Amino acid sequence: MRIRRRVGAGVAARPRAERTTTAVLSLRDLAISFPGGVQALRGVSLEVAPGEIVGLVGESGAGKTVLGLAALGLLPPSAELDGHAFLGDTDMATATVEQRRVARKRFAGAVFQDPMTSLNPTMTVGRQVAEVTGSMAAAIEALERARVPDAQRRARQYPHELSGGLRQRVMIAMAVAGAPALIVADEPTTALDVTVQAGILRLLSGLRDETGSSMLFVTHDFAVAASLADRVAVLYGGRLAEMGPTKELLQRPDHPYTAGLLAARLSPESFRGRPLPFLPGEPPDPRAHVDACPFAPRCPLVIPGCEERLPQVTAAPSHAGLVACLRAGEPPPSLLHVHDRFPDRAPAGGRPPALRLADLTKAFGSRRFRHVAVNALTLAVPAGGAVALVGESGCGKTTTLRMAVGLERPDRGTVEVGEGGRPQLVFQDAGASLTPWLTVGELLEERLRCEGVTASDRAGRVREVLALVGLPISVLGLRARQLSGGQRQRVAIARAIAVPPALLACDEPISSLDVSLAAAVLNLLCRLRAELGMALLFVTHDLAVARFVGDRVAVMHAGHILEEGPPETVLERPQHPQTKALVAAIPRLRSA
Amino acid sequence: MAAAGPVLTPLELTRRRRAWAGWVRLGRLERGGLIVLALTTAVALLAPLLAPYAPTTAVHPESFAPPGTHGLLGSDELSRDLFSRVLYGIRASWLSALAVIASGVLIGGLIGTVAGIAGGWVDTALMRVTDLFLALPAAVLAIAVIAALGPSLPHTLVALAIVWWPWYARIVRAEVRAQAVRSHVDAARLAGVGRARLALRHLLPGAFPAVLVTASLDVGSLVLILAGLSFIGLGSPPPAPELGAMAARGMPYLFGHPWIPLAPAIAVFLLAFAANLAGDGLRDLLEDH
Repeated sequence: MRIRRRVGAGVAARPRAERTTTAVLSLRDLAISFPGGVQALRGVSLEVAPGEIVGLVGESGAGKTVLGLAALGLLPPSAELDGHAFLGDTDMATATVEQRRVARKRFAGAVFQDPMTSLNPTMTVGRQVAEVTGSMAAAIEALERARVPDAQRRARQYPHELSGGLRQRVMIAMAVAGAPALIVADEPTTALDVTVQAGILRLLSGLRDETGSSMLFVTHDFAVAASLADRVAVLYGGRLAEMGPTKELLQRPDHPYTAGLLAARLSPESFRGRPLPFLPGEPPDPRAHVDACPFAPRCPLVIPGCEERLPQVTAAPSHAGLVACLRAGEPPPSLLHVHDRFPDRAPAGGRPPALRLADLTKAFGSRRFRHVAVNALTLAVPAGGAVALVGESGCGKTTTLRMAVGLERPDRGTVEVGEGGRPQLVFQDAGASLTPWLTVGELLEERLRCEGVTASDRAGRVREVLALVGLPISVLGLRARQLSGGQRQRVAIARAIAVPPALLACDEPISSLDVSLAAAVLNLLCRLRAELGMALLFVTHDLAVARFVGDRVAVMHAGHILEEGPPETVLERPQHPQTKALVAAIPRLRSA
Repeated sequence: MAAAGPVLTPLELTRRRRAWAGWVRLGRLERGGLIVLALTTAVALLAPLLAPYAPTTAVHPESFAPPGTHGLLGSDELSRDLFSRVLYGIRASWLSALAVIASGVLIGGLIGTVAGIAGGWVDTALMRVTDLFLALPAAVLAIAVIAALGPSLPHTLVALAIVWWPWYARIVRAEVRAQAVRSHVDAARLAGVGRARLALRHLLPGAFPAVLVTASLDVGSLVLILAGLSFIGLGSPPPAPELGAMAARGMPYLFGHPWIPLAPAIAVFLLAFAANLAGDGLRDLLEDH
């Protein structure tokens, strides 16, 4: 029988395991579950050697964040642990609260995704770093090591006075201040712009070379892991799917899940005009108890044996690592299959543009603190065409979109919308754009009613629309919170196209979705655009996505458009320095 | 079973399971509170059927009969059946509290919705009027109303309703405004939904959980306030069975015949306690959603 215990419940009830390696972090068969039957981690063994950077990659719910917290001994007291997690010589799975605190202080530093919530808003950043370093002088030195420019002055500022990138540098300064053996970094660059992300990644890898600290780097993006990690571990459903040296693993993945994630990932080199390959289905329910391969329901290589028992973690055939798959190393056929091109779209044939923005200007704020979000912007989307609007956060792209669909009134300039249904918007957070207490059926029905579709035609049209976006009829009675992330985005799209609009505006519709879901949604949007003859105005911060979606790419900065043209021109021969910086900062799987 | 009972779709099944899961997760106290709340409402509605005797006539052969000898709780100083009087007292308190809350939710909800949706000067004007009413002291207003109109329970309720609705106006306005900046409202607007429909279907339901929780917590406060006003003689004139007045008139017998003042007092305590627990339980249930 397995003995389970709660964190911090005093003396260990099971025999004490001895640390047998020199690894900084050594997880042995670590399993973590939470009340309500959520099994976040289901037996993972992993070691981080001194000076090594291990990238932990997986989709949301794979258990990667929980693993990081367990290594730091920061799990909530309600978590139940099984197995071992040695940080230095302390088993964080069995140690008391005090022992864990001491081990953390001696061995570990942490950097989390959102530095705003990890920093104390009532203390200057200098004092916060000094709490770790002991003195203000040492704190400023630590800030300088984290490449915080003008550290003397910054140390006297409060977190809200710093940009997101600087805040993250402060967090890093705190994490490395005690010269820890291990730094746990959980999605430290996910909330940042690509150019800022590139700087943070350079800083982290430079610090490893300077201090020799090991790092456990949690991320959902293979390219980010590739730019930093010596080894990559891929988690799926709370288990290790594959682990190996970064370069080899990315070139020759042995697990079909890894292969699928890599194939679904958009890069500046992805082909255009054809659907992206993607993994069908969604990640497993963390409460389900499975004795089979957790990936079997989505796997293109599944054989009866996969559903009978758990695949053992064995030596990988193609690289010097480990893999848990019965058919490891076989190339997954459906992923490599070259899909048919998207159907040809109806020719624009002299139709007036779907959208014409001329001299558009919008400012926010009071007379004293005026912020010009959009400044004399001119842009046209041809009928049936697709324009991708790219820019970093705060460049005014969302405001432009809101004015284009009529949600915001411009201070100056004109918005002309072509003939056809009224323009629709797909929001960044699809869940929040669905009224929480209304069912999918009610929302779709309402949209049709508002467009004057007669009651007798509505039911049929609702079914047609669901089929178009690939949702089953059974979702009609569900509310937003009962849907998965991918389903929510599909419902939001279904509502937008229930009556095909002349223009479908999309505000970063995939930025909060996992890689394989994002690929599916992108495919859906491109297919619908061609089938329904809509024009697309697609806002994104990701140049690779812009290139895939757009016939034309417009790069936006500080409220106006820097350059606009076909994607090949903009990405391969960028003219403006800002565009060049954006292109250079795209994380890539293989360094050029 | 399958032949006789209604066939449940998987969706209905999950809904039932969800409701049940929410119920199971509640603390024992909160669960008890919700049950007592349901029972109390049933007792209040059915008091005329449940009470063994008329509440205002002398029905027992002797006065000051201890509990168990004549009737369940004995008789009071005028040989009336104490149990029947307490039941009727619960009925009066409970239904009065619900009436005040219903009028508050109605008036406050309307004003809050209009203010929240209209914004601008309409919002400012309505909310300043609301503040004005919030500044009125409940007890003093009740005394003034009763001094002007004469003592009766309906007059007390009118006075309470006048000071009670502003809270609901504020809650509804705040909730409506909080919903209005969320993207589902933008999405509905883009779908072509008109103003009235937007308010009724996409904004107002968002205020429902907060109003429900506040209302259920308020039942307890209102029971206490009503009992207090009735205790100091601002309720119906005797011989009406009101818990506060009964306790007040029974005070002289506290040492000789303690059940006469204590029975209505304990009833007040239990009503308020159950209402508070039920409010907590309701909040926990709704927070999931």
